Amino acid sequence: MRRLLFTGFNAFGQHNASNTERTSGRVNALTEITAPGDSKGNAIVALSWRYTAFAMGNKLWLQGLLDSSPDESLEVHAAAEIKALAACDAHCLVLLQNGQLYKLQAKLSATLLPIKLETAAAKRDIFGQAKAAEAISVAHIACGSHINVAISARNAVYSIPSCLHRFPQGAWRVQQLECGHEHALLLNGNGDVYSWGNGLRGQLGHETLGVEERPLLLEPLAGIKIIHIAAGGWHSAAISAFGDLYVWGWNCNGQLGMRVMKPDGLLKEPTVYPLPQLQDLPPCCAAAEETDLCAPLKAYAGSRHTLIQRSCGRLWASGWCAHGQLGKQPPNLSYLDSFYAVQQVPKDCDYTVVCGPWSTLITLSE
Amino acid sequence: MVDSIDHIVKLLPRFADIEELLQNEVEAKYILKRAADYFGNPHSNGEEEISYLICALVDKNWEHIHSGHFSSVPVTIRKIYALGCYFKIFFLLLEDRSLEQRELCSAILDEAQLLGCTDKLYEKCNELKQALMKYLDKDAIKMTMNPLPILAPVERRITDCDIPTLDAPSIMEFRIKCYQELQPTLLLNTINHWPAMTKWRDLNYLLKVAGNRTVPIEIGSNYASDEWSQQLVKLRDFLYRQFSQTKGDQEIEYLAQHELFAQIPALQADICVPDYCTVSATNEADVDIKAWLGPRHTISPMHNDPKHNLLCQVFGCKRIILASSADTEYLYPHESEFLNNTSQIDAAKPDFDRFPLLKSVRFYKLLLQPGDCLYLPPKWWHDVRSETDSFSVSFWWE
Repeated sequence: MRRLLFTGFNAFGQHNASNTERTSGRVNALTEITAPGDSKGNAIVALSWRYTAFAMGNKLWLQGLLDSSPDESLEVHAAAEIKALAACDAHCLVLLQNGQLYKLQAKLSATLLPIKLETAAAKRDIFGQAKAAEAISVAHIACGSHINVAISARNAVYSIPSCLHRFPQGAWRVQQLECGHEHALLLNGNGDVYSWGNGLRGQLGHETLGVEERPLLLEPLAGIKIIHIAAGGWHSAAISAFGDLYVWGWNCNGQLGMRVMKPDGLLKEPTVYPLPQLQDLPPCCAAAEETDLCAPLKAYAGSRHTLIQRSCGRLWASGWCAHGQLGKQPPNLSYLDSFYAVQQVPKDCDYTVVCGPWSTLITLSE
Repeated sequence: MVDSIDHIVKLLPRFADIEELLQNEVEAKYILKRAADYFGNPHSNGEEEISYLICALVDKNWEHIHSGHFSSVPVTIRKIYALGCYFKIFFLLLEDRSLEQRELCSAILDEAQLLGCTDKLYEKCNELKQALMKYLDKDAIKMTMNPLPILAPVERRITDCDIPTLDAPSIMEFRIKCYQELQPTLLLNTINHWPAMTKWRDLNYLLKVAGNRTVPIEIGSNYASDEWSQQLVKLRDFLYRQFSQTKGDQEIEYLAQHELFAQIPALQADICVPDYCTVSATNEADVDIKAWLGPRHTISPMHNDPKHNLLCQVFGCKRIILASSADTEYLYPHESEFLNNTSQIDAAKPDFDRFPLLKSVRFYKLLLQPGDCLYLPPKWWHDVRSETDSFSVSFWWE
């Protein structure tokens, strides 16, 4: 049995609380919600700002503001079991277990449209006949408001639909792919991080601010084995095998856990951190000599907030909270600019986290 | 007071006024319709929900405006942002009309103009903006405390100037000797007639006409340094922090490269676009006018701009070091997209070990004093440092 706990922006009926008909506006504390369809199954969930996508088996639901008013919903059926979803306001990318990639516009009349990725220039056989273009099998997807990425099973990276780069095949393996509003982060099985897209707010982690068209190895983290990454709107986070947390990018709302205002309270600190910064989390539950028990394990990020799951199971958060995205906070507080423990996350319970732009969704397995 | 705001509410758009703009904007159409209907109907309800939706719409469009280059943000998004700000202000005033609340609202109104696009939203949009600004500013100036200093006029200093000097040249002379030759020149006695020359030294005047406006300032002496940041603040607070006699050990803030005069027409009336700009600009609207106001020790590191530039000094002095666009390859521009028009060198203390090619560069030094104008051709490098409190106005044209 799995339970879904939600907090954050819910103005369009994206999420129905299980105990009330509709929670409109913002949800200010972790609240149990139900997924459409069979709520006991393992729904795949992807959150955009104005709708949420749920998938189960070959069924897919979009719920929220699609055409003209809140509480609209759309149900479509895919040709095969759905493997992954990536949602942005314009559309939802739908990846099937068979490697086929579809796009579903976020509107009531939408249907699944196959995405045709650019193939390499058609090869010719020895008799000069063009070989039939091979169907590209997609393995990973991610998207943001200004970026759509797919990676094939053969490690070709697409800015949908054009091919940007081909990583070597064989031992080279994609571990994780994440997108912010306009940048992408990739973690490979070796623990190396690559970034590309728009880096004008430092989100790429490269020394110079600018646009990178192709995946570029994150030099400052080279040699450090990274085990988990997160891409926020304009910021990024990475956790190393040593349990170190690195953050970089835009800190406009404290999403890096860095102070926003100078001590005088009138002027701002610099808000862009182009290079990965080692972020020490405050002490958690373990005794001082056993801090490894509370080392950062996984990172998740929304548009302007960051969540860190620690080895002890506790969840810590920093960043924008004006829409309830960090759970229960004092009223009138619009951001946290250092990491605090999120209350209400049940202990002794496995969970995973998915962030929407302004929300947080926790899936508990009991 | 109640009467006047009731009158201003009538200037808000009806949904029909903005429907066309919102054709393809799902969430803006839904939210702005509810807000417009709310204010259009005397017996409306749902205030709390609609007010929240409006805040969410403003936040959402703020995020869109901050994605990618500002220049590539669709104007529709900036218009929706401005409309959202207007409705947000009225919801805030429904809650509370205290002075603090009105201060908050006037900052939102300024942001609607600075980040959003407030032009041609609907028929009465300018009327609304003016009426709202007048209402929100009404008591804001009265609450200020101590007077600011009136800066003393300074005696003109006779100093070396490495570039040619012309005393109030005719347009023809300027065209031939400066513009056509792409020759940086110091022009004397060309802006003495500006009302700004006498009025602006009295900082209380700036406080009075513009104190309640929100302006972007740069914090930290030098925009190419890591410690630098940008922020929107009330001009009043900036003036007190940087120019009052009691000012402490403040960090340097610089109101730089801001189109202050489009924002504050009263200040625009104190200057005029020099005739020299008309050698090629067909009309005054093609001239970008920017304000540069700050305390002493502001630094604009060696950089170049793509247009012709007349830098006019209203009060205070600036030390300027120039280098020719022909020497660009010896000036070590930064690599990043933000800073590729900026050199890594410190022109005041060139480090020839670190930047050996600098030895090939010829630097030109000069002091810009009140009433002086510096003509700079496109792409000429300039390093500008204020020696005193300083206010300059630049005119850029193609």
